[in-house]
Amino acid sequence: MNHTIRETFAPPVLVGTHQPSPILRVCGVSKSYQTLAGAVQALSGVSFEVFPGEFIAILGKSGAGKSTLINLISGIDNADSGEIIVNGAAVHAMSEDQRARWRGRNLGVVFQFFQLLPSLNLIENITIAMDLTDSLPPAQRRQRALQLLEQMEIAEHALKPPAKISGGQQQRVAIARALANDPPILLADEPTGNLDSKTRDGILEIFSALAREGKTLLIVTHDQEIASRASRVIHLRDGRIVEAER
Amino acid sequence: MKLLRIELKTRWVKILKDIWGNRQRSLLVVLSIAVGIAAVGMINTARHIVERDLYGQFRAGNPASLILYVSPFQKQLAGAVQNMREVETAEARRVVAAQALNSKGEWKDLALNALPNFNAPKVDQFRLESGAAVPAGREILLERRSADGLGVKAGDMLTVKMPDERTYRLRVAGIVHDIYVMPFSLMDEATGYVRMETLQWMGEQPYYNQIRLVAAQQKTDRASVLKTGELARDRVIEPAGYQVFRIQIPGVNSDPGQHWAQNQINGFLLILQVMGILAVLLSGGLIINTISAMMTQQARQIGILRAIGARRSQLITMYLVNVWILAAAALLIALPLGLLGAWGIAELAASFLNFNLSEIAVPFHVLLLQVGLGLTIPTLAALYPILEGTRTPVVQAIYHQGVRGEEQERPIDHLLMKLKALSPPVLLSLRNTFRKKTRLAFTLATLTLAGAMFISVFSTRASLTEQILQVGRYIAFDASLSLKPGTQRQTAEREALRIPGVQIAEGWASSSGVILHSDGSESKALEVVGLPHDTQTMDPALQAGRWLRANDTAAVVINDDLLESEPDIQVGDRIQLKIGEAKRWFTVVGITSKHLSGARVYMTLEEYGKFTGRMNQADVIRLRAEPGKLAAPQVQAQIAAELETRFNNAGLSEQTASTQNTLFSTFTRPFNIILIVLIIMATILSIVGGLGLTGVMGLNILERTREIGVLRAIGATNASVFQVVIVEGLVVGLISWALGAVVSLPSGFLLAGAVVKAVLQATVHYRYSPWGLLLWLAIVVLIGVFASLTPARSAARLTVREVLEYE
Repeated sequence: MNHTIRETFAPPVLVGTHQPSPILRVCGVSKSYQTLAGAVQALSGVSFEVFPGEFIAILGKSGAGKSTLINLISGIDNADSGEIIVNGAAVHAMSEDQRARWRGRNLGVVFQFFQLLPSLNLIENITIAMDLTDSLPPAQRRQRALQLLEQMEIAEHALKPPAKISGGQQQRVAIARALANDPPILLADEPTGNLDSKTRDGILEIFSALAREGKTLLIVTHDQEIASRASRVIHLRDGRIVEAER
Repeated sequence: MKLLRIELKTRWVKILKDIWGNRQRSLLVVLSIAVGIAAVGMINTARHIVERDLYGQFRAGNPASLILYVSPFQKQLAGAVQNMREVETAEARRVVAAQALNSKGEWKDLALNALPNFNAPKVDQFRLESGAAVPAGREILLERRSADGLGVKAGDMLTVKMPDERTYRLRVAGIVHDIYVMPFSLMDEATGYVRMETLQWMGEQPYYNQIRLVAAQQKTDRASVLKTGELARDRVIEPAGYQVFRIQIPGVNSDPGQHWAQNQINGFLLILQVMGILAVLLSGGLIINTISAMMTQQARQIGILRAIGARRSQLITMYLVNVWILAAAALLIALPLGLLGAWGIAELAASFLNFNLSEIAVPFHVLLLQVGLGLTIPTLAALYPILEGTRTPVVQAIYHQGVRGEEQERPIDHLLMKLKALSPPVLLSLRNTFRKKTRLAFTLATLTLAGAMFISVFSTRASLTEQILQVGRYIAFDASLSLKPGTQRQTAEREALRIPGVQIAEGWASSSGVILHSDGSESKALEVVGLPHDTQTMDPALQAGRWLRANDTAAVVINDDLLESEPDIQVGDRIQLKIGEAKRWFTVVGITSKHLSGARVYMTLEEYGKFTGRMNQADVIRLRAEPGKLAAPQVQAQIAAELETRFNNAGLSEQTASTQNTLFSTFTRPFNIILIVLIIMATILSIVGGLGLTGVMGLNILERTREIGVLRAIGATNASVFQVVIVEGLVVGLISWALGAVVSLPSGFLLAGAVVKAVLQATVHYRYSPWGLLLWLAIVVLIGVFASLTPARSAARLTVREVLEYE
């Protein structure tokens, strides 16, 4: 059953008092960019909350501010104003280096263009995330990476470089890398934007499975199919949340 | 390899794979570091070897602090000198000028040395190389370079001609190494050692004419050593009834106990050291550019690493380790390469200066210097690009790569935007050149410095050659021959003009003299020359004043060489000259350029005759076939042979005739090594410059891969892409050439000044080398084209699809 709440400048929506505390709180976040054509307001006072285990789809047209929002939540970019609290950590108040460290242990990020490291093979593309955060004893990292590749059904390509596999397979590796440190939250920016429909289905199936396992997913997309699988959809237009539907 | 992969952390695997995956770029960094470090190793190791072996061997043989040239004496006189408490050792020696017949049948000058005791020479000791250490009667020992030069070995017979023209056959009993004589290859004069009995057998009187002494104290102090010599003269030698003609410190302007070429060697090593530092600086500039390139290429990956949790300190460490791995690889190349270079220079020096090389190894301090520089310079050079590269915000690194790199627009950009007449690819190249101004500045600085030094080296070569050629003006004859004392000038000239083809014959007279100072002291010995005022066998270059005139009375022209020891003399000054007991005042009317063969005072033959009482006498005859120009070497040799035969037959001379060609080539030979080393340095500098431009062009193209894709998407052909890239390389090369040409004006002057000072002990007459300028232009064009070829080829090979997928 879908329950729709219309939001414009509304504060975070809390549905009932018995719910667990939110894993993500975005509160009055604004962001603008300077371009040659002048300042562009990417986000204006965006606020919402996400609860553990939710599968959120953020929908909006190109330029609506979706990617900016995901970059601010992941700490890849800085907000001009507002607060972002992820799992109790005030991301907006951290330095770039603190954010990097925190991100490595608490968030998984999946990019539209996969962003794998071309010089490393698939298994190394996953173990490097563990290496940089020292999240597992070195001896266990390779095993963990192989498990993830098996989970993504591409273990047979483990020793290949990214350039030798298809786009869909690369995206699976990117998801595996995002899961390497077993973060509670996974952020994805247009994860199927660069894939054909058949490959896209496979990726969507992986996201659905992760949601079933209890991961919190926040996915920026144009793709209505993702939206249909999400537990909640947030619509962005011109840097504002115009609609949140459940 | 598998085991290694498991054990290494993934970040280090990434670094290793990055290095291997970008082999060309890695090689460029490695070579950039290696060139500078190898140059430092080469120069410092060579310096160490030369100082250890040459100076070590020189000191080991108890070098004479001083040589006293004394009228004929018995060896007991040296014993008396040695008994002085100021003297540590003194040894008598007899040196006779003779000639030896080489294996080609030519007579070569030979200095015959007779020692009192061959079993234990005390001063200027020589070392046996082969054969017998002590010659028996009618036997000779030969210095090893002399033996090589004459083409004889131990056991051979050597024909020796004494001043009285009688010849003797001596058996070469042994070959010795004497580090204290200037080698045959330099002087064209052989050195041999015989017993006094042998000299007697050859018609000489059994007396000595030199005392070589080692001072007891302050052995290296010039004034103190000269004082010891004067004491020996005043207290022992002259009271015993002998005359001291000259007190001389061995070497060329050397200090006592110093190798005869030490000043020149040190000066030259200093110049090489400066060149080495320049090579290191250039290589540092190259490293900065190449590491910047690497960091630009890695910007997106750094963003990704940050996105998945990498801290800045981790990234800095990773990329520093990357640089250290490359630096270590560079050291692996630079250390043996430097040693090889040092070995080459040391071999060259050893053969040139006649010393033995003991061990060719990099001394610990040089190794430390190389390793220190090899790690420090790349680290310092890389630190800024690494700090900058890891500071880039993640979002910028991942999403906006390249945009941040564009720099502020400058007037040059506006100017380039207004250029419309050129074809679009050329315009694009020109505008591309100025897009990354900091990088362009670094590239230009490296290439400009390399170019300036290259042109400077050629200007130095031109200046040195010019200065050497200047010396040729003073030997502007086709042939010359020393005459018997008392030979009538007119007789000699008449006889010489009978030689077919000879149009000019001049008899010159000369004596050794001194200048008497107002305080009664004497100058160093100088040569007083009487010559026709309108001489046609010399073309003096006047630095001040005028040349001699027919009606001159008491007028002299001096040479610049005299000013080294008598710097206060000016045109118009009056000087009192002394030859033997004759003294006379003269006015200096002119000063000629350097002769590099000692101090000279010229006066007309008439004045010379009046001064010395030797009217109408000549000591040397100088001939020319034609007034306007010198004859070809073969013609000179023919005239010399004819002159020698005719004058020997007529009893006017007993000497061998020389030609301008042989004299000049003998004189210029020592300078060839210097020119060779300078050319090697110029080549190293051009390699460094070439590497720099290659790296930058590769980087520029890499950054513009997407643009090239766009160009190809809108129809650019391979040729157009090639043109865009190569024209950019050429533009950078040409700008650096122009800048290098400007910088080379002062830098060439400084380098030429330092080299000429070091090797000729003279002030430079600077000659800018247009050939160096043009040659560097050609090299820069080649560098520009070749540095762009590989990137251009890669760019032209890219398909539009590949380019648009470019990360």
